[in-house]
Amino acid sequence: MFLKRQMPAIIAIGVGLFILFGHFINNPNIQGFVNNDATQWFDIIASFAIFLGALNMLKLQVVKVVKRSKGWQYSLLAIFGFAFAIFAGFFFRGANYITLTEINPHKVNILVEYISTIQEVDDPVLMASRIEGSLASYEIPKIFISKATAESFAVSLSSIANNVTLGVKPWGAHVQIKGSLFSWMFFKIFTPLSSTMFALLAFFVASASYRAFRIRNFEATLLLVSGIILMIGRVPVGELVPWWLVSTLIVFGIGALIAPFIPNKKLLFGIIIGGITLSSGIGVLLDWNLAVNIPGFLSLPNISEWIFDYPTAAGSRAIMIGIALGTIATSFRIILGIEKPF
Amino acid sequence: MDLLKKIFIALGSMDRRFIFLLVGLSVLLPKLYPDLFTLPIKPSSHSLRVFDEIDALEENSKVLVSFEYGPSTKPEIHPSAIALLNHLFSKNIKIYAVALWPDGNFMATEAFSQVSDKYGKKYGIDFVNLGYKPGGEAVVKGLASDIRTMYTVDLLGNDIDSIQMMQGVSNLSDLDFIFSLSAGYPGSKEWVQFACDPLGIPMSTACTSIQVTDIIPYVENNQIKGILSGMPGAAEYEQLVQSALYDRSVTVEPGKASINMAAQSMAHVVIVLLIILGNITYYLTRKSSNKGGI
Repeated sequence: MFLKRQMPAIIAIGVGLFILFGHFINNPNIQGFVNNDATQWFDIIASFAIFLGALNMLKLQVVKVVKRSKGWQYSLLAIFGFAFAIFAGFFFRGANYITLTEINPHKVNILVEYISTIQEVDDPVLMASRIEGSLASYEIPKIFISKATAESFAVSLSSIANNVTLGVKPWGAHVQIKGSLFSWMFFKIFTPLSSTMFALLAFFVASASYRAFRIRNFEATLLLVSGIILMIGRVPVGELVPWWLVSTLIVFGIGALIAPFIPNKKLLFGIIIGGITLSSGIGVLLDWNLAVNIPGFLSLPNISEWIFDYPTAAGSRAIMIGIALGTIATSFRIILGIEKPF
Repeated sequence: MDLLKKIFIALGSMDRRFIFLLVGLSVLLPKLYPDLFTLPIKPSSHSLRVFDEIDALEENSKVLVSFEYGPSTKPEIHPSAIALLNHLFSKNIKIYAVALWPDGNFMATEAFSQVSDKYGKKYGIDFVNLGYKPGGEAVVKGLASDIRTMYTVDLLGNDIDSIQMMQGVSNLSDLDFIFSLSAGYPGSKEWVQFACDPLGIPMSTACTSIQVTDIIPYVENNQIKGILSGMPGAAEYEQLVQSALYDRSVTVEPGKASINMAAQSMAHVVIVLLIILGNITYYLTRKSSNKGGI
């Protein structure tokens, strides 16, 4: 019981208080612990957390398959994907490469031709000059997943160089090198799937906004208007919106704001029409058709930038300060042992 | 008038598959016929700030570029990464790459492979990729204190003490600038809070459009020197870099963000039109239902 309940609390309280007060104690050993050791501890624990997270995911999927829960077929696919990633990461490097030593200088162009049969060469002249610069030893810029393919290509190069050797990229590095099995999995399977999932959002956002974005009250109208300004103002098409359209929209906006205070609809209509005529007249007189003459507040990109810089920044700051205060309160509760999320 | 009303009400109850088709076409057509959808790209003040900050760096300055995005946000951030590497390499600046996201490793590898050869830059001399470490803010704090406690080897397994450009670099204070390519947590915020602010290192960021609201207070506070917001920001920076490199007699092909901006513009216009249409229908049906009609 002590190990399960009191011990974790003692560790959390002790380490929490030590690191908190460590920031205020000017002692090199304590500072060293807070800045270096504690972050390394965190790094090690985070690495274990990834391992535990993966195991937990695997356990959940296996249980789903065993129990034949709803959608168990997808879990099977998830387990297969997991196993494949483990295989490509830990058991099969699939990162073979070929090195040529003492290349025959007269056969450099033939070598470039050979390389162009296995991968696209953007600039053959540049590649030839690079090979000429490293005739003593040159690594073919292509990774072979299968050793047999690498060997058969190496055989075809035997007449070009004095020595053709086959190598495998070291463990760890093989995961990152373009052309290896793991990199193939990332770029050919994970990337398209991930991009597709994200791209689908555009369709659902369009459909949802069409159905749900309604002018129901003042707040909804404000949200809608600023949303539209940002959507149009942040893309190049916003530059094409003419000043008179923006000034007309501003007059309509002012009309909507003063409408509750003017019961006479004819007067309101007159004010709006008068405002549009006045703003258009001023625009024509001051020659706002010339881009340099347009006042900043009549350009949608400028309005959208203003929304970002002032109302958005103010709102975000308020939220951030609120979150910070909440974090401090929660941290204190954990450090003092009042709350035990662990 | 009644006919018009009926048309609007019918449009208002459009099948969602038709909406999907409209959105699909609005993205597809500008991609298929780019010449018909050429739009001007004017840099915002935030993008200009990023460009000016990077452009002011001197030759052989040391810049840390952090990759915190993956394939799902690649269309928004990767163009910024490519433009940034073009900008930095053209000025002969040393680049130190790290990743706070596991996917960031792949993004960094791809970005370097796309750009480094063009400038004849060599790994270990002109750029180095230290790779991914789990831990988020703890990694940032660790790097701020001592890089070697976090990284003993680089992404390719080389001992970092054997890498030429790591000589004389012990922590983030030895670097001149930090650039965060961020799509969420851990990302730009953590760099500001645990490294750039305490150590006084200037930083800029390129992030997804959705993140801008979270990051903008730091930009307004001058803790982050400019922000490239989403694909529009990337397109603006691409244009600035392209024209600057043209002046330095370096030809750079138009970036992907600039090409994709027409598609994004059209999609936004379609969504806005759909919202307006939906509201007209809502207004008409509300009035009718108030009168006991439809």
